[in-house]
Amino acid sequence: MRLELGNIFIKDVQFGDTTKVLNGVLYISKQELLDAVSGDTRLTSIEIDIAKPGESTRIMPVKDVIEPRVKVEGSGGIFPGFISKVDVVGSGKTNVLKGAAVVTAGKIVGFQEGIIDMSGTGADYTPFSKTNNIVLVCTPTDHLQQHEHEEAVRMVGLKAATFIAEAGRNITPDEVKVYETLPLLDGVKKYPNLPKVAYVYMLQTQGLLHDTYVYGVDAKKIVPTLIYPTEVMDGAILSGNCVSACDKNPTYNHLNNPIIEDLYERHGVDYNFVGVIITNENVYLADKERSSNWTAKLAEFLGLDAVIISEEGFGNPDTDLMMNCKKITAKGIKTVLVTDEYAGRDGASQSLADADKSADAVVTGGNANEVIQLPAMEKVIGYLTPADTIAGGFDGSLRPDGSIMAELQVVTGATSEIGFNKLSATQY
Amino acid sequence: MEKNVKIITNNPDVYAEFSRIMDIVFVNGQYMDVLIAVRDKIHNDYKILTHPLMGSIKPNQTPYRSLMIESSDSLDFQSLEIIESSIEMCKKFLKDKSCPVWNEKVLEDFRFVDKRLFQSALESL
Repeated sequence: MRLELGNIFIKDVQFGDTTKVLNGVLYISKQELLDAVSGDTRLTSIEIDIAKPGESTRIMPVKDVIEPRVKVEGSGGIFPGFISKVDVVGSGKTNVLKGAAVVTAGKIVGFQEGIIDMSGTGADYTPFSKTNNIVLVCTPTDHLQQHEHEEAVRMVGLKAATFIAEAGRNITPDEVKVYETLPLLDGVKKYPNLPKVAYVYMLQTQGLLHDTYVYGVDAKKIVPTLIYPTEVMDGAILSGNCVSACDKNPTYNHLNNPIIEDLYERHGVDYNFVGVIITNENVYLADKERSSNWTAKLAEFLGLDAVIISEEGFGNPDTDLMMNCKKITAKGIKTVLVTDEYAGRDGASQSLADADKSADAVVTGGNANEVIQLPAMEKVIGYLTPADTIAGGFDGSLRPDGSIMAELQVVTGATSEIGFNKLSATQY
Repeated sequence: MEKNVKIITNNPDVYAEFSRIMDIVFVNGQYMDVLIAVRDKIHNDYKILTHPLMGSIKPNQTPYRSLMIESSDSLDFQSLEIIESSIEMCKKFLKDKSCPVWNEKVLEDFRFVDKRLFQSALESL
């Protein structure tokens, strides 16, 4: 399967009469965008705003971030199972509005998460302070159930990204990147002397507000399976998770998964990147046993020499991470884990809720308990008051001057467990 | 030996919904008290069916916790390991910051999320 990703560099986003890309500037017609995303009677209003890098702007509470992508050649369409039919994606050509992002925001539950600051200290911690963000703040009808609210907001985000991406359909990309994965046996024949490496991609699937979808299927109902890495780049996996700001994978991160991109970098040189095993993180222990048995079985079946395993979330998924690590290692396959840490505010405590001696190569995305201070911003898109009730926030988090003191947990994407961030730790 | 499945919870909504159809122990206490009640059961030959730290909501944010356990033939070491690590994790969070006194609206949402996560686990039973 071969995919050409055509990056159209977006330097700026502005409102305009029509939605188009011209000389690296994305113009958005508010009315056209509203027409594209409206219609869900569960939402009473959708407000659209723009947040640019360097501005004194805070977006909160953030639900999801989505990169606009459009399929210009090849089977299927973006976000199969939701926006497009369930045809297999991941081949042909896809254009990307690189530098633009759709951000959905709104109050879904009483305790809220997700801050994106476009400047100041907070901006250093989130990758989405560097993108030009089209923000959609959604207000639900009274008494709408939280999961219905989440679903409505999720669809608004996907529709908005799909609509905006159409503006890039006929634009010649500034840069084209080619990613190719051969069918397993062909790949092994092509690189007979290289170690075979795969990526075990753990998806957040604990239930309400903690879900991930694969081709429209709720991933807690799957058994681990194989997926071509390029399918992920076309939106085969998307986020329905709105409860863990710092270490959840927004849809944007799935589309841009750096573990997949980096594995392609040295593919065919140092190793043979054969593909991706997706698995889940259910709360029922028998599900964990079954899924980890299957990841190990698939790893063995593929004849792998090594895997990288990433988790999503805190606590419960640590057990899945260790089960995967232990069982895959027991098959004689080397493992490297990618996670983040809840090591206490001083960073001195045990980082994960589970451990195993086979987990001897671990990469961290940072300590989510670290306390940070976010200066007041001139403009707030969304609602500032939930700052006291977000994860990592506490009574008095929001000060009278609009500044916030809280744990790093509050910042969207700060301690990404797929490494889509800047934080890590090195031992000398 | 017939398996005996029990719910241990401090969430009144879970109690209200399941007390008629399942064996349920209501813990009049905090998140940590539920974990300790589960640990005591494990020492009496129960194993856990659902993860004590389910959900991404941290132990010093939500006051509610619901778990499912099942009788076993002997001490289940995996359950013991998981519950002990979870208690340690919970202590660590509470050491830095205790669970705030929430208003009723927030408590209602926490109860709802705990109940729904629990229901999704029940579907696997």
